Amino acid sequence: MSLQILINGLATGSIYALIATGFALIFNVLKFSNFSHGATMTAAAFIAYFLVSSKGWGLVPTLLAAGAAGAGIALLGEFVGFRRILKNHSSATYFFVSSITLGTLYEGLVTIRVGSNFFNFPSFFQNPTINLGIVISTSDAIMFLISIVALLILGYVIQKTRLGRALRAVSFDRDTAQLMGIDSTRIIQLTFVISGILAGFAGVFLGIKYTLYPTLGSLVVKGFIASVIGGLGSLTGAIIGAFLLGVVETLLLSLLGSGYSTIATFAIMLVFLLLRPQGIAGSNVQEKA
Amino acid sequence: MKKLLALALAAVMVFCLAACGGSGSSAPAASTPAASTPAASTPAAPAEGGEDILIGCLQDITGATSALGMSVEAGAQAAVDDINAAGGINGRKVVMKTYDTKGDVTEAVNAYITAVTVDNVSLIVGPPVANIANAIKETSESYDVPVMGFALDPTCQLKEDGTPYKNMFCFQPSATTQGQIMAAFAVKNGLKTFGIIYNQENAYSVSLLAPFTDELAKNNITVDDKLIVAYGAADTDYKTLLQPIVAAKVDAIYCPNYTQQLVAIVTAATELGYEGKIVCGLDAAPSFNTTYGGDCSNVYYINNINTDDPTTAEMAAAVEDKVSAVNKYFLGYDVIMIAKECIEKAGLEDPAALLSAIEGVKDFKGLTGSLTIDPKTHMPDGMGMFMYTYDNQTPVMLEEYAG
Repeated sequence: MSLQILINGLATGSIYALIATGFALIFNVLKFSNFSHGATMTAAAFIAYFLVSSKGWGLVPTLLAAGAAGAGIALLGEFVGFRRILKNHSSATYFFVSSITLGTLYEGLVTIRVGSNFFNFPSFFQNPTINLGIVISTSDAIMFLISIVALLILGYVIQKTRLGRALRAVSFDRDTAQLMGIDSTRIIQLTFVISGILAGFAGVFLGIKYTLYPTLGSLVVKGFIASVIGGLGSLTGAIIGAFLLGVVETLLLSLLGSGYSTIATFAIMLVFLLLRPQGIAGSNVQEKA
Repeated sequence: MKKLLALALAAVMVFCLAACGGSGSSAPAASTPAASTPAASTPAAPAEGGEDILIGCLQDITGATSALGMSVEAGAQAAVDDINAAGGINGRKVVMKTYDTKGDVTEAVNAYITAVTVDNVSLIVGPPVANIANAIKETSESYDVPVMGFALDPTCQLKEDGTPYKNMFCFQPSATTQGQIMAAFAVKNGLKTFGIIYNQENAYSVSLLAPFTDELAKNNITVDDKLIVAYGAADTDYKTLLQPIVAAKVDAIYCPNYTQQLVAIVTAATELGYEGKIVCGLDAAPSFNTTYGGDCSNVYYINNINTDDPTTAEMAAAVEDKVSAVNKYFLGYDVIMIAKECIEKAGLEDPAALLSAIEGVKDFKGLTGSLTIDPKTHMPDGMGMFMYTYDNQTPVMLEEYAG
């Protein structure tokens, strides 16, 4: 495998990691796969594009705006789509249906606002490449670094802070955590906010890499695959799965070309489900829906 | 209370479904005959100087190629307005109704059938998208309504036996002509080694491949199979796809793709450190430059219009803020003017006469050049094109090529 392909794979994997982590966080706490995550990515990226980057304000303000927009959308989604289902202890299927409905709603709203046209983030970097003997794309390098920093901060918050401990407690047993004095509703809201911020970042990075269009959120399926490979509910597993998926996908594309590489990627996921359904890291959660 | 709420929600849902119905994006102002027009019958033609003439405009208005569809629609509507301002066609007002294909072949076929059977349009301004034209060509054989489009893939107009579909017409140079021109230009400008990246799921992209490589072969240039890279709709990782081409340090990458893919591919090539030329089709014409946002000086592209011509430049300047693809606007304008000429000549009473008039279009002087239709192919015969590049982001016309 050439170094260039490895770099491409790691850069792609770092974005998948952002998606997979946001996805896994919600799964960890509420035990369902939040399929509105993809549309949240798209909506947040579009908001950042129109409010910030199209005015020439650079990458950092764009990411801040996307993070804030993603957090807001996710919080709204939690209130509108999931709060009542949670309080009523309704069937797990409702979480799934509600997440699909919310995703379709967000995507529809974005399409109404921007049509089906695509948009391109302005070039954020003066030099498109960094030459270190091999050529590295500046945007790939920056996206990789920012993703790693964001994931490290998330890891610190979850492992080392009171909030993180509360989040972990709620993810293990919501009712017991509530009895122990943890406001589980607030913790769930916080989880959606973090997931939304990661969705905003991922949306901007995907937009920079592939252009911005209303169905960009369909790439959430890559985050889902990474979560499955890593072990649903495991944050570490999701990150490992995402980088693995990015590198394997790039390698297969390089070796097999278009078409077969997609088939091979899904075949690998099936093999994982057959041989190790708990994923690389394993998991102690049972999926609701 | 819960029952009332459920009933109210059900009522809202029914209302929403009703509001979402309908495929036309604008209501026709014309009184339209209701009879359907299967092949055996003829469309009910209003009397001269009587009812309005209804023209259908089948375009992608909300799909992935909506920038092209909306530009054609705007140009066609401008021509309709000019015709009506000058008294209409044989004293009858022209009304255009747009049907949104949404860039989807199923939607396109449904919209086409609605146009010819329910609204009974006299003719249809077709899309500049080969996949859509390919989808309706077989269905169109059952009716007597010309589709005056711009799908440059010859298979949209020609059957396997080489005879044309009776209703399908293309009013811009075919893929064969355009591919040959781009290759001839590349060779003339000293480019000797090539890589190719094309969308194997898109008829437009595929149709431009063989004419280009065949023309290169005539000049003793062959493209290594390993450097001909196909991709599909699901592919997004253009860097990996481009890797072997960039590593081979080719003089030029031939890239016959739609604008969205072009933006992503040119970005990926630049980020891989590629410093050669990129030869593109029509979709690298503006607004590619503004969408891409960077320096496009290494991009060559083919175009229908010559902006060095003062009249064309003036018209382009007048509309470039209103439409995304000025060349498609001009194509839309020209095709309506050609339709006017044909209707004036053949009338609408006899569909065969109208089709014959379209087949007989000769030396029509339009905004996109002089156009003669070859009745054997239903495509232009000898229509020229123009090769361009960019000076950073400013289009620069380089050379005119005869068809």
